[in-house]
Amino acid sequence: MKQIIHLDINGEAQDIAVEPYHTLLQVLRDELGLIGAKKGCDTGGCGCCTVLVNGKAVYSCMVFAMTAQGKTITTVEGLADGATLDPVQQAFIEAGAVQCGYCTCGMIMSAKAYLSSDGSHLPGDLEMRQAIAGNLCRCTGYQKIVDAIRLAASRRMETSAKG
Amino acid sequence: MAFAGVKEFLQPGSGREAVDLLAKLGDRAVVLGGGTFLHGLAARGVLGEVDTFIDLQKAGFSLVKSERSGLAIGATTTFTELAEAEPVRTSLELGAVRDALQYPPPQIRNMATVGGCVASATPLFDLPVAFMALDGSVKALGPRATRDIGLHKFYLDYFEHVLERTELLTEVLLPKLPSGSASAFLKLETNANDLALLNVAVRVTLDESGTCREVRVVVGGGVGKVPVRAVSCEDVLKGQRPTPALLQESGDVVSLDIHPVDDHRASAKYRTAVAKVYVRRALQRALTRLGASLDGHNGQES
Ligand SMILES: Cc1cc2nc3c(=O)[nH]c(=O)nc-3n(C[C@H](O)[C@H](O)[C@H](O)COP(=O)(O)OP(=O)(O)OC[C@H]3O[C@@H](n4cnc5c(N)ncnc54)[C@H](O)[C@@H]3O)c2cc1C
Ligand code: FES
Ligand code: FES
Repeated sequence: MKQIIHLDINGEAQDIAVEPYHTLLQVLRDELGLIGAKKGCDTGGCGCCTVLVNGKAVYSCMVFAMTAQGKTITTVEGLADGATLDPVQQAFIEAGAVQCGYCTCGMIMSAKAYLSSDGSHLPGDLEMRQAIAGNLCRCTGYQKIVDAIRLAASRRMETSAKG
Repeated sequence: MAFAGVKEFLQPGSGREAVDLLAKLGDRAVVLGGGTFLHGLAARGVLGEVDTFIDLQKAGFSLVKSERSGLAIGATTTFTELAEAEPVRTSLELGAVRDALQYPPPQIRNMATVGGCVASATPLFDLPVAFMALDGSVKALGPRATRDIGLHKFYLDYFEHVLERTELLTEVLLPKLPSGSASAFLKLETNANDLALLNVAVRVTLDESGTCREVRVVVGGGVGKVPVRAVSCEDVLKGQRPTPALLQESGDVVSLDIHPVDDHRASAKYRTAVAKVYVRRALQRALTRLGASLDGHNGQES
C-alpha cells in the first residue's frame, strides 16, 4: 500500500507516495525524474546508482525509500551551483574521465563523498582507487577517473590553502 | 521485482516492539538491517513469501560501547560506524575487525549493519570470521528471554543459524582479552565487490616471556558450510615461542581442519594452498602488531 513520505532531495522538500518495497533509485528516477543515478545491476555492486545519504555514498538501488525519510539526499543533479559545475564534475570533464557516461554520475558521487571527508593531503593512487572500488566502469580503464579525482583533490588543497 | 508482495513497512521504536511484531507476523515478516543482503537471500529462495519489512533503524541499536567486559556493538551499527569507533581504530586486539572492515566497498560499509552481517549466516562474509577469532558472542532478544550465544555455536549451515524466527540479534559482544593480545584478518578476493574466496582471522596472546598462551585461527570463505576453527593450527603454537618455522608449520596443518569447496571461483586445491599461506601471514601480522621479534626484526603495527 502506498504511503506518503517526506524526503529532502538536493535541498528541496518532496512529498512522495511510495510502496514499501520501492527503492530510493526507483523514486528518484521514476517519480522525480532525477535520472542522473542509473539503474545498472539493481542488486548492489556496479555503483552507477550511487547517491549521497547524509553525505555518505550508498547504492540507491538497495536503499528502501522509506528508510530515507528525515535524511539529506544528494544526487548528481544537486551538485552544480547554478551554471557553475561542482569542482568534481569540472575535473571529470577536464581529465576526459567520461566515455559512454553510464558510470559517470555514480563515480562523481563516490568521488564527491570521498573528497568531502579529509582535505588536508593529496591522496595516493591506492586511496583514490579504494574510494571508487564500489563503482565499475567498462570503458575508461579507470586511469582517467583517478586523474580526475586527483585534479579535484589538488584544487581543493589550493583553495583551502588560500582560504 | 523481488519484494513486490511487501505491503507494510514498520519501524518499531524498540527491540521489544520488534520482537512482538515478529511473534505476531511470523514468517510473513523479515527484519531489515542495512538491506544489502536481502536481494541475495531472496535470489537464493531463503526468504519465502514476505509481506512486511520490520526496519530496525529506530530500535536504538546503533551504538558501540566499551564496557569492562569488552566491546558491545549494537546490531544496527554500520560497518563505517564500527570502523570509526575509537577502540576499533587503535586497539591491537581488535586488529582483525579493523582489517576485515577495509575490504567491502564504501557504499556497502555505509549501509551494511553488523547485525545483518552476522545474521545472514554466510560463511563467505568477513566480519563474523574476525568476531569468531575474538571469541565473540551475540545477544538475542526473544519474546520471553534474552540469551547470549557464542558465535562458535551460532551457525548451523548455509543461511542457517540458531536464532528462532521470533528472536532478534541485538548486540555482538567481543570480550576483553588479556594484555599481550593482538589479532589480524586477511581475505582473498578478486575485486572489492567479491565475497571471500578464502578468509582467515587469528588472535594471539603472548605472555611476558613471549610464549604463546592463547591462539585462535578461524578460516572462512568456501572452506565449509560455516566458518571453521582450525584447532590444528592453534595446537602448533600454543605454549611455544613463535618462530618463522612454527608459523609455517601452523599454516601447513590447516588442511587437517578445512574442507574447501571446488567451484567456479576456485578449486579446493587452490583454496587449501592459499589457506596455508594466509594462516601464516595472518599470524605474522598479529605478532608484528605485538612487536614480537620474528627473524630478529622488531615488529610494527600495520
Ligand atoms: C556489492 C557488495 C559487496 C560486498 N562486499 C563484502 C565484503 O567485501 N566483505 C563482506 O564480509 N561482506 C560483503 N558484502 C556482504 C555484506 O557484508 C552483507 O550484505 C551485509 O553485511 C548484510 O548486512 P545488512 O545490514 O545489509 O543485512 P540485511 O540485508 O538487512 O539483512 C540480512 C539478513 O539478516 C537478517 N537480519 C538483519 N538484521 C538482523 C537482526 N538484528 N536480527 C536478526 N536478523 C537480522 C535479515 O532479516 C536478513 O535475513 C557485500 C555485499 C554487497 C552487496
Ligand atoms: S544499480 Fe545499484 S549498484 Fe548497480
Ligand atoms: S564511461 Fe562507460 S562505463 Fe564508465
